[in-house]
Parts: sequence; C-alpha cells; structure tokens
Amino acid sequence: MRTSDAVSGAMAAALGAALGAALIVASADLSPLPRQVYGAGTFPKVVGGLLLLMGGLMVIKGLRQRQPWCRWTSKVAARPFLLTLAAVVASVVAYVWLTPVLGFPIVAFVLLSLLFRAYHRRGWARAMLTAVLATAVIWLLFAQLLHVPLEPGLLEQVLYP
Amino acid sequence: MTELLQATAMVFQWEVILVIVAASLFGLFMGAIPGLTATMATALLVPVTFFMDPLPAIAAIVSATAMAIVAGDIPGALLRMPGTPASAVYADEAFLMGKRGQLGLALGINVTCSMLGGVIGVAVLALFAPRIAEFALEFTSDEYFWLALLGLSCAILVAGGDPLKGAISMLIGLAIAMVGMDSVSGQVRFTLGNYNLLAGISLLPVLIGLFAITELLRSLPTAGRGASRKETPRREGFGGVAGTTWRYKGGVARGGLLGTMIGALPGAGADIASWISYAISRKLSREPQKYGTGHPEGLVSASAANNAALSGAYIPALVFGIPGDTVTAIIIGVLTTKGITPGPDVFTEQGALVNAIFLVFVLANLLLLPLGFMAIKGAGRLLSVPTGVLYPLILMFCIVGAFSANNSMFDVWVMLGLGLVGVFLMENDFPLGPLILAFILGPIIESNFMRSILKSDGDLTAFVDRPIAMVLAGLAILVWTLIIANGVWKRPGRRASASETAAEA
Repeated sequence: MRTSDAVSGAMAAALGAALGAALIVASADLSPLPRQVYGAGTFPKVVGGLLLLMGGLMVIKGLRQRQPWCRWTSKVAARPFLLTLAAVVASVVAYVWLTPVLGFPIVAFVLLSLLFRAYHRRGWARAMLTAVLATAVIWLLFAQLLHVPLEPGLLEQVLYP
Repeated sequence: MTELLQATAMVFQWEVILVIVAASLFGLFMGAIPGLTATMATALLVPVTFFMDPLPAIAAIVSATAMAIVAGDIPGALLRMPGTPASAVYADEAFLMGKRGQLGLALGINVTCSMLGGVIGVAVLALFAPRIAEFALEFTSDEYFWLALLGLSCAILVAGGDPLKGAISMLIGLAIAMVGMDSVSGQVRFTLGNYNLLAGISLLPVLIGLFAITELLRSLPTAGRGASRKETPRREGFGGVAGTTWRYKGGVARGGLLGTMIGALPGAGADIASWISYAISRKLSREPQKYGTGHPEGLVSASAANNAALSGAYIPALVFGIPGDTVTAIIIGVLTTKGITPGPDVFTEQGALVNAIFLVFVLANLLLLPLGFMAIKGAGRLLSVPTGVLYPLILMFCIVGAFSANNSMFDVWVMLGLGLVGVFLMENDFPLGPLILAFILGPIIESNFMRSILKSDGDLTAFVDRPIAMVLAGLAILVWTLIIANGVWKRPGRRASASETAAEA
C-alpha cells in the first residue's frame, strides 16, 4: 500500500512530536550531565526535531504534488496481501500466547499444518506430515543442539521422560 | 609470521571447516530462491551463531553471504528472476545468453568471476585494513564521532531515491536505538515503564523483523503460485568459461577493485557495486551496442564486483567498527555480543583472529567454485522447492530465532512490529539500509559525542581542533550538502530508477 508523501511525512512528523512529548514528560529524569548543557536528552531532542522538520517537508511535497492519499501499487493484489498479513500476525500472536500453555511442539505443529495447507494446497494429510517433520527438525536444532529453552508444554512427559 | 601460523591453526579445525561448508550450502539455497536475500540469510543465521565462538560465527556469515550472492545469479539466468538484488542488473543479459544456448557459459562466468572478484576483494582487505588500522589507532572520540556521522550520511546518499525518505529512515533507526539505558549517563529513556526495554531493543529481533519478516510478507502472498516452472538446464558443458574470463581479464580486475571500493563505502553494498560496475564496463567497452543482448562482458565485471563488495564492506567494519553494508552491520552486532569491539585495537590485540578472518574469506571464496558449479547442475531441483512449504517454515524459524537471543517473548513482538513497519516503509520507497545502520551507529555517535563534550567541558569547537577531525567534519558537511542539493534539484534520473528496480527484485 502506497500512501501519499503527505501521509507518510505526517507520520514521521508525528513520531518526532511523540519523541518531543516523551522528552517533556521525562525531562526531569533526562537532566543534563553535571556542569553541562548536554546530556541524555540532547540526542532525542535533535532526532525529534529533525523528524518534525523532515516529516513537515514531506507533507509539503506530498500536498504540492497532489498525490492520491492512498493507492495500491504492489505487484501483489490487495486481497492475498491482506490475508497473508493477517495470517502472519495471527501466527505470531498465537505463538506468543499459546506456547507458554501448550508448549512449542503442539503450537508449531498446528500453526505449520494450517500454513502449509493454506499455501501449499496439497491436502491436509501432506500438510500435517510435513508439519510433524518440520517441528521435529526445529526442536532438534534449537532445543537440543543450541539449548534454546523452548517450552515443552503438555508434551514434557513425552519429550523428557 | 607467528600470527599467520596461529591463524592457520585457528581456521583449519574440523569445526570451522564444517561451519564454512554448511553455511555455504545454506547461503546457496537462500540465494538461489528468488525473494530470499543474502541479508535475510544472515539474519536467520545469527541466532545459530550466538552459540558459536567468534571465528566460526564470522566464518558462517562470510561464507553464507558469498555463496548467496553467487547463487542469486542462477534463477536470474534460468527464469529472468534474480535470486538476490545484487544479480538484478545482469539477470536479463544472462537469461538472453541462456536462450541462445549459452546457459553453461553464462553461469560458469558468474561463478568464476565471482570467485576472482571475491579473492581480489580479500587481497585488498588484507593489504589495506591493517595499514588503515595503524593510522586509526590515534583516533579519539572526536574522530569517531565524525566518522560514524559520515558513515550514516553516506548511507543516505547512496541509498538512492528520495534523500528525504532516506533521512527519515535514518532518524527512525536512531529513535529505536535510543530506547533503554543511555550508555554515558546511565539514564533510562523511552521505556514507558516496560522493564523489557531497560537494556534497549536488541539487534536480532530488529534484523529478523526488518529483513526476514518484511520480505516474507511481500513474497508469501504469491507462494505456491507461478514460479514453479521446472526448467532444468539442458546438459550443457561449461566450455568457453575460462577463455571468456581470460578475454575480459581487465573487466574482472576493474570489477573487483571497483566493487571493493564501493563495498567499503558505508551503506553501499553488493547490489550497488554490481550496478555501477556494469554501467562503467558498458561505458568503457569497445562494443557497448552488444550490451543487453546477451553479451558476457558486463556479466564479467558485475559478477566480480558484487562479490568483491562483500569483502570491501569489512574494511570500515573491522578497522573503525562502522559497517559498510547491512551484512557487516550484523557482523558488528555479533562481535559486540561476543565481547569483541571492532576497531583498530582488534588488529593489535587480536592479530591472529583478524588474520584468521582473512583466511576464512579466502576459503569461502575458493569454495564458491566447486559449490557454485554443483548448484548450477542441480539448479532445476533447487528452484522447484515448493515456496508454499518454505515460507511458513521460514516464519517459524524467524519466531524461534527472535526468541532465542534473550529467550524472551517480548523480542518476538519486537520482530513482528518491525516487520510491519518494514513492509510499510518498503512499499513507500523508504530505504531500509539507513535505518539498520542508524540503529547500530546511533549509540556510537552519541557516546562519542558525549565523551568528547565531557573532555572539552562543553566546548563544541573541540570537535574540529584536530586536523583529522577537521577533515572528517569537512567531508561530513560535504556529504550533507550533496544530500540537500540532491533533494532540492532532484530529477527523476537513472540512479533512482536503478535502485527502484533493485529494490523490487
């Protein structure tokens, strides 16, 4: 999705303004170093100010060139893109929320099965079989070989008997 | 001499060699699949390198990227789809050669010249980096401040497109880098009371988000559709490869040297090196009219240049700790987490390690030859890997990889957030290079500024009262003048369109 320079510029300026606002709120904490005018607040001030300035310039540019507020320019059509976006966000959210409860093997298997089924389109049986293999490989690589503490969850008794 | 022997002993251990071969195969795979870039390969490797010693960690990244850039040529010649942006400039040329039945020749030249370019790059790196490091030993925080600022400014200048967008991208990177505890005063900034942010936002989830999730979101929608044309290269020999390479040996040398220099510029990496080298080779050629019709001359220079650029990028990275491209930005991050701060001191204190890194470079580049030819032979099988399986698998790797840096789910959120930001920025032509460089250089700029200001007791003129600092300051001002001039009198020139095609590829 391509937005007008005015829109993305305004967003940049807003980020600058947010930095400025956060600075004012935190000004008591971000005091300069002793006997100095410079301190932990100096760089945020500069960066925030420049973001406001550059964002403002982009807003002016976008308004002058009368670009449309928003249009679809990707090579990919809007529908598959938004569906994928939703799928990726949902997968990450599901992983973060469900892994501590159900454990990595179950969550990874279910997510991968769904994604393989949706994107590879070769039926459930093959999707689930591939997911089992993939989950096992990732588990072996990260949990066994690299000692990343992936949650065994419900399968704890099975994996570490 | 003893250092060289030590270095050889460090490199020739089965563990290091195994890592080099495995990482090369991984890079080969990532580079050959369109949509997966060398930077993405590096980002996915980092979680694994966290558990290695410094040398194997660097060896893994060096060999994976070198191989990925070469493997990127394969789908370019077979399907007209460059595997990585660095191959985009000559994908058409190689494809046309393939149509004329010169597929073996085109890809053979790619592999051979990449190896030669890579070796030229390593030679320059090994020859000049220690000299520059000796010189850099006298640098103080003043010089480092200007150097880091200069690097950041160059990144905007060479990113192409709208400099205003490059600058905003850089500022966003600086803003992200400021979160957490300030390194000089120890004051806590912008954490909004979240204790996960106290130590700042870590590099790995940022990298995976920006370079892997962003690419995934752009490629996944088309997964499983099209692109699965299984065009196996016909049984073609590699006849004429050596002859053609020898015929354009000047082009190889020029591409290698030019690529190394461009790679050494902060922000300019393999893709820009191959664009410029191709353009120059066309300008100097005796038969420029043949370019674009399946002529090997441009292929020779550009293939040599993009691999040489990989080595060139390590010059500023190792000598000053200022990354030359996104991959070395990652390397600096990896080294820092291992307690090694890249800079001139590394050359004096860890001479053996530096020499071992050079050796690894040579090995990785020599390995390009057998693995590259093997990849060409197996290209059909490589390209028919179902993307509908591959991309979901990469997503799972990203999640586990982001988690593994600090074993924290918070980092998984950071990864997702930056992936979404990255897609929005890419779609709107904001370059991502300045953002990641700013994220790494931001703390360096700030801490050196504060250190200098403390030394001089708040006197700003101290920043320019040493000759080298003054020169660097002058250069930084010059670059900013160019950026501003570029923004004010910007014409929709060839440079911008070139980088746009590169970004799309």
